[in-house]
Amino acid sequence: MSIALRGIGKQFGEFAAVKDIDLDVPTGALIALLGPSGCGKTTLLRIIAGLETPDEGQVLFDGRDATLWPIRDRNVGFVFQHYALFRHMSVFENVAFGLKVKPRRERPALKDIRRKVQSLLELVQLGWAGDRYPAQLSGGQRQRVALARALAVDPDVLLLDEPFGALDSQVRHELRRWLRRLHDELHFTSIFVTHDQQEAIEVADTIVVLNRGRIEQCGVPGEVYDLPTSAFVHRFLGQVNELPVQLRDGRAYLGPIDISPATDVRTGDANNIALIRPHEIEIGPEGVGWPATVIAVRVIGPIVRLELNAQGLPANEPLEAEISRERYEGERFGVGQTVGLRFRRWQVYPAASGAAA
Amino acid sequence: MAAAEVRSVGTGAASGRLLLIAAALLFLGLFLVLPLLAVFVQALAKGVSAYFIAISDPNAWASVKLTLTVAAIAVPFNLVFGVAAAWAIAKFEFRGKSTLITLIDLPFAVSPVIAGLIFILLFGSHGWFGGYLRAHHIRVVFAVPGIVLATIFVTFPFIARELIPVMQAQGKDDEETALSLGATGWQTFWRVTLPNIRWGLMYGVLLCNARAMGEFGAVSVVSGHVRGLTNTMPLHVEILYNEYNYTAAFAVASLLALLALLTLVGKSFLEWRQPELRHAVAQARDRTRREKT
Repeated sequence: MSIALRGIGKQFGEFAAVKDIDLDVPTGALIALLGPSGCGKTTLLRIIAGLETPDEGQVLFDGRDATLWPIRDRNVGFVFQHYALFRHMSVFENVAFGLKVKPRRERPALKDIRRKVQSLLELVQLGWAGDRYPAQLSGGQRQRVALARALAVDPDVLLLDEPFGALDSQVRHELRRWLRRLHDELHFTSIFVTHDQQEAIEVADTIVVLNRGRIEQCGVPGEVYDLPTSAFVHRFLGQVNELPVQLRDGRAYLGPIDISPATDVRTGDANNIALIRPHEIEIGPEGVGWPATVIAVRVIGPIVRLELNAQGLPANEPLEAEISRERYEGERFGVGQTVGLRFRRWQVYPAASGAAA
Repeated sequence: MAAAEVRSVGTGAASGRLLLIAAALLFLGLFLVLPLLAVFVQALAKGVSAYFIAISDPNAWASVKLTLTVAAIAVPFNLVFGVAAAWAIAKFEFRGKSTLITLIDLPFAVSPVIAGLIFILLFGSHGWFGGYLRAHHIRVVFAVPGIVLATIFVTFPFIARELIPVMQAQGKDDEETALSLGATGWQTFWRVTLPNIRWGLMYGVLLCNARAMGEFGAVSVVSGHVRGLTNTMPLHVEILYNEYNYTAAFAVASLLALLALLTLVGKSFLEWRQPELRHAVAQARDRTRREKT
């Protein structure tokens, strides 16, 4: 089922949770709503589910106006961060719930329910756990039960609110990959909410970045990461170094490095900042580029992170650079060593947009 | 050296624990068990036959019946009201919510005697509705309806107060999940909400029932103390006591105490019968067994 949002707005008292949201989710897409806490992503998800009514705008399901449909008529599966399993029911009863509450003429026979629940439990790799109670399962297992329960009613849309937020990183990583595979097998439309950019990049086809109730940018993960349209998105998706752009004699500089040819900087606009990701900093021998001193080296598995004090910048704001382990093994930059920096890529934004984060 | 230190810390903790347990038991004994025993000892002071004669008195029986009737009306009424109010307060945002919470607490704040007088003022022969009631030959005050009303008023907050924090802590996730799975409002209530709150609810019912059976002040004002007709057990106990009929007074008091003990036993039995509770107990037993080996 395709979902479309047209001009959605929702206020909570004085606080505008979401404003003027337009979004199209094609059938079968897997979309991430990404943003910091308070950005409106959960409100938006709840509006799609029918758990909140928007103050303005329309929600369209397959082109039909579903804005005022109650949740039980929308045929959506909703998965909460804290699982919301019915604690007084066994795992089997939890998954069977959606089938057992159907009106009598639509309700499958008991043996069909049993077969379906068992196959769903197998699908989430919990075929053995039907008789257990939620309290007896681990967090990852509980979330898989919650997914099986949501899938039991054959939803057209699966909505997940920070589904892996309460799990530890190992389990989270496994479940992300598993959710992606599940989505590819079953082809339902899914929307999930997360504040974890890595999760969004790993799982989703499309990332919608939200900030203060508005859509900041929408695109495929690589595009949003590489070509952010605002400083907010640039900062939110990964680490960044921030440098002031200096203007001298009609040319733009980052420290001593002339960036004029590559950057469209209007002279006179003196308050620009450049954002540079750690892996976009090139470290070379002393004498080439911007002189800097290595003040810390940290080996993190396949990458090595260097903290660098660039000449002319305050000592308490070191730049962060990342190089590959192989490169590091070859060159052996040590603490105290002087090196030369160049920038492979950077992006310039007006400084006013800096406050958004 | 290290082992000796560990041991001394261990025994220190153990003696502290013993001290705490002893203090708790002493208090329980002094303030709960001893008075309860005193009731039964006093009731049986003149022998078992005097006890049975006292409780088989028709007026005593009438008071037992009236007390049970009043509780049987007041408790279900406050059960429905308490669940509805707690549901509204815990799961919805609306204007006037804090006023509603304050109003629910009102019977706690008002003295029971005042509560009784309110009903005299409303339904008494010189009260606001007194003329209307007399014209239609309806007796409220100095009759069973008045006693029921006063009891409902006094026991109003018990169940709602017990449920509000429970429901607030549980949030709306379970209900929203049930709705998203296609359940109707009724199905959600019976299959999800009610099982989630049943322990708090049972505790609230227990407290409400205890107070409904034991209420003295408010009921005393509206009852009129007509023997065999409008005397509840606490009122009957007082009358007997004022007549220096100690054996009979304590005999009826012992029945009241027995009713209270019965509700407690009932609660324990229900808890014991819950499958997932049994599960948890079995699990805990497994764990200790594993730790021992």
